[in-house]
Amino acid sequence: MMTESQSVPLESLANKMKIEDLNIFYGSFQAMKHANLDVPDRHVMALIGPSGCGKSTFLRALNRMHDLTPGTRVEGKVTLDGIDIYAPTIDPVTVRHRIGMVFQRPNPFPKSIFENVVYGPKIHGETNGKRLAEIAEKSLRAAALWDEVKDRLNRSALDLSGGQQQRLCIARVLAVEPEVILMDEPASALDPIATSKIEDLIGELKKDYTVIIVTHSMQQAARISDFTSFFLLGELIEVGTTSDIFTRPKDKRTEDYITGRYG
Amino acid sequence: MAQLAVATPAVGRLRSSNARSRRIVDRIATAALWIASSLVVLLLLLFIGYEFVRGASAISWHFLTGSPTAGEAGGGIGPLIFNSFYILILTLLFTVPISVCAGMFLQEYAVGGRFKAIVQFSAESLATVPSIVMGLFGLLVFVSAFHWHFTAIGGALTLTLLNLPAMMRVTQEALAGVPATYREASMGLGATKWQTVLKVILPSAIGPLTTGVVLVSGRIFGETAALIYTAGASVSYGRSAYDLNPFHTAETLAVGLYQVHREALVPDVDRIANGSALVLLVMVLVFNVIARVVGRQLTVRFTGKA
Repeated sequence: MMTESQSVPLESLANKMKIEDLNIFYGSFQAMKHANLDVPDRHVMALIGPSGCGKSTFLRALNRMHDLTPGTRVEGKVTLDGIDIYAPTIDPVTVRHRIGMVFQRPNPFPKSIFENVVYGPKIHGETNGKRLAEIAEKSLRAAALWDEVKDRLNRSALDLSGGQQQRLCIARVLAVEPEVILMDEPASALDPIATSKIEDLIGELKKDYTVIIVTHSMQQAARISDFTSFFLLGELIEVGTTSDIFTRPKDKRTEDYITGRYG
Repeated sequence: MAQLAVATPAVGRLRSSNARSRRIVDRIATAALWIASSLVVLLLLLFIGYEFVRGASAISWHFLTGSPTAGEAGGGIGPLIFNSFYILILTLLFTVPISVCAGMFLQEYAVGGRFKAIVQFSAESLATVPSIVMGLFGLLVFVSAFHWHFTAIGGALTLTLLNLPAMMRVTQEALAGVPATYREASMGLGATKWQTVLKVILPSAIGPLTTGVVLVSGRIFGETAALIYTAGASVSYGRSAYDLNPFHTAETLAVGLYQVHREALVPDVDRIANGSALVLLVMVLVFNVIARVVGRQLTVRFTGKA
């Protein structure tokens, strides 16, 4: 499936995020070296590479999740609409409000389906019950889960299947109305049917959101993304339109990876 | 290729005699573990049964609600039961907020800091102090230095010192049991640390926390050494039987049980001792069951998880 944007070069699009000379250290180990990346607005950017290449490490730097891990140090510049999210005046809490994250394993709270979705709006100060119900319905519809759960919103989220839980987690992120959604291998713990539902959903989400997704599946990257970045051994090797990366990679290492010579 | 060559004889070993002996050992081990577990249950049942046989005849409405007597038979333990609960509640009122906050700080906030190491070391040291030493400390501080004399509040504060480390430990473990993914999810949605702790972590830990409070309550209920010199060992001097004033002497059931054999001048000492022991035992058991039910219901209420 070729979407229109795949033929558009990366440079011609408006940037949502810009990463410049990003270095990430776990203690003395450098997990990411001098990465630069422009992320276009309202497209899907896939991050691919073999295990341990640093793609998840890179992703977590984009909404300051590394702040939560002691001993991790992030250097360089990450901007959202031109604002440096690592500037000392910026509160990481507001960064994560605008840049949401969906994790590898579905991680709903041990609360009801409804309480999961409205958790974000509630902590950001929404108290109106009617408004919260509207947000819940809207978010669950956008995450293609509404029809499956509308009659049991007060049941525990933990009773849902893995695929439903992951879509609930996406709904929970949508409810805080972020601008960018980071996804860290969101389908890796799911079966093929649930995976294809998530992939369809991502196709819908890019109409309104900028999506950056880590995936270990090259087929998945080819199916859902407009642009692809290839990581290897803590370095960002190559960025391009997904069709270019998979058909005409410029770097020998990218070519070796996509033709299955390692990884 | 070499691996294949090694692997082939292994197929032949499928019927080896070794499998039989290993199966027998496996069965013996399973049986031994089962017996050990059953032994625990059996001991508890034997113990309860013994106390029942010895104490049941002493139990009457008058025994449970009446006041102790001096010199004559027929005294009750009503005020002692009341004092036990009163001091338990007072102690929990001090212990739970302090230790939950301290445990929360250690588990969620102080990650690998120097202050954490100091708090941890202090708590561990405090935990090794024998209860009689803590009782004497209470005697010096609350009874003598503060001039409170023997008081319920002095006893409760001494018990607080005694149980803070355990309750803190319980909190830390309850919070550590909450999956890290909940924290990530909450922080990832733009919640602050405090919002995450208050709305996700604490509710998820409410079950183990309640269980921890129960265990500590059991200890408080049965504590004697720390109370003899702080809350006192009498109910009759200068106070009514059921006295809510925390600055009055308050002998608990466990202290009473200890005292009755040592000092009581009543002729029916054995009856009172056996009855008290049974009541103490049954109350701790009932308390456990009730709190377990409450713990489970809190978990369901706060997490929607059965």
